[in-house]
Amino acid sequence: MLKWYQETENQHDVFVASRIRLVRNLEHYPFPVKLSDEGKRELAGKLEEGLKDIGSVLGQEFRYFSLSLLDETERDALRERRALHGTETKQEDMGSLLLSEDETVGITLAGEDHVRLQCMSGQAELSRLWEEAGRLDDYINERFDYAFHEKYGYLTAYPTNVGTGLRAAVTLHLPMLSAGKRFGKLVAEIGRFGVAVRGVYGDGNENYGSLYEISNQKTLGVTEEEVISLVKQMADRLAASERKMKSVTLKNHRPDMEDEIFKSYGVLRYARKLSVKEAMTYLSQVRAGEMEGLLQFKRPVNMYRLMMEVQPANIRMLTPKEGENDLNQARAAYIREMLPDLV
Amino acid sequence: MLCEKCKMREANIRYTEVVGGVKTEYNLCSHCAREMDFGHYSAVFDTEYPIGKLLADLFGLNGDGGENDELDAGQVVCPTCHTAYSDFVKDSRFGCPDCYRVFDLLMSENIKKVQGNDTHTGKKPLYNHGNGQARTEEDEAAKLLRNIELLDSRLREAIQEEEYEAAARYRDEIRELKERLSEHA
Repeated sequence: MLKWYQETENQHDVFVASRIRLVRNLEHYPFPVKLSDEGKRELAGKLEEGLKDIGSVLGQEFRYFSLSLLDETERDALRERRALHGTETKQEDMGSLLLSEDETVGITLAGEDHVRLQCMSGQAELSRLWEEAGRLDDYINERFDYAFHEKYGYLTAYPTNVGTGLRAAVTLHLPMLSAGKRFGKLVAEIGRFGVAVRGVYGDGNENYGSLYEISNQKTLGVTEEEVISLVKQMADRLAASERKMKSVTLKNHRPDMEDEIFKSYGVLRYARKLSVKEAMTYLSQVRAGEMEGLLQFKRPVNMYRLMMEVQPANIRMLTPKEGENDLNQARAAYIREMLPDLV
Repeated sequence: MLCEKCKMREANIRYTEVVGGVKTEYNLCSHCAREMDFGHYSAVFDTEYPIGKLLADLFGLNGDGGENDELDAGQVVCPTCHTAYSDFVKDSRFGCPDCYRVFDLLMSENIKKVQGNDTHTGKKPLYNHGNGQARTEEDEAAKLLRNIELLDSRLREAIQEEEYEAAARYRDEIRELKERLSEHA
């Protein structure tokens, strides 16, 4: 079965992925932070036992990972593919992960909270994901009573998740907009509506690949439908600005744009060593070129998949050898293999 | 510029105080600044100023203006998981679901500041297998309690806004609800 990020059908130029995350906790159990490692494992085991047939809800198999048994690279690789939540404290590491075959559904057990349910897809379809997450949520709830407060809603370890426990997020590819001077201002403006924009990959100071995730900040006092429609609206606004900027650039500076895109393709095609930053920069250009029809590949490819799989831990999983140089070599080799020829 | 107090270290903090229209300026090094009494701003000069501290200010442990019951708020402890309110303020993280009930009054205003609202309006769990019968009884009392809290926060708001007529109305309503609550008990 193809993973969601390997699909090549119906790719959008700006919308790269959608994600719905729900946080739930069980009644009568302290939050994981107050549990010993033993207690966390016990709770994860109990949840796993109760949810062993959860695959029946969506008609696909789930794989079970005990996170403490994976090594750091394996956990980081899951984080880079966004199946696992990336917290600095890495509190999840004692818990477990239930991951569907196509990696669209990831359920972290005994991480920051008792249950962290996430549904992902490579399409712009928050509403469908919410419906799917809702069914899984009800399935879990049928087996375990949730900690719910009449006033505060679903109770969570952090007050920033309380209420709906919902994070609705859309990943956008914004190479034009993010290169512009007004991007910072635009992000700040959108923030005023209670929506956060953050870079998906990068090193803290710099964004690699111009992928941005738009998500709601508030979880209390708003309905799930309101949250989803707000995020959709803001994402649509950003996408419209990106498209507008792209068409203006294409109209006025077409040769420059084509030059950059073909150069990027050339580097990816023939380079022997590529750092994450280089790879992401050129992949981003090539993605924009392909979506615009400037580059035509002999076979379809999902560029977002490549952007995900050139991240350090994922590349390391492909090559057992140590060392930064080896990794850069492995990354270049991987891209040469994956990138199709031009028509 | 050298620090005005010790005259040894470079001054890196300028503190401007305006009292009764008179402006006084101090140029201090961080060492001397820490020893000066700037009330709850002193924390700024601690070598570390973690984000938790910012939230701590927001969640109101560092003095809102001397309401006595708030002074000891940090020592309120959740009986289920032994998380103290001061722990919550430090990590901005709860220990167990019961913390929400225990700290409700202390934090409800601040949750509102973080979330812009303090009442859930979204989805509710479909199932609860716990002893259903006892729950409805409990629900009635919980509903009354919630209404009392709601009115209480409105009362406080009204007093702040100096709308005393409204405040008196809220006070009477609260009294009535409290009577009904004691009948329940």
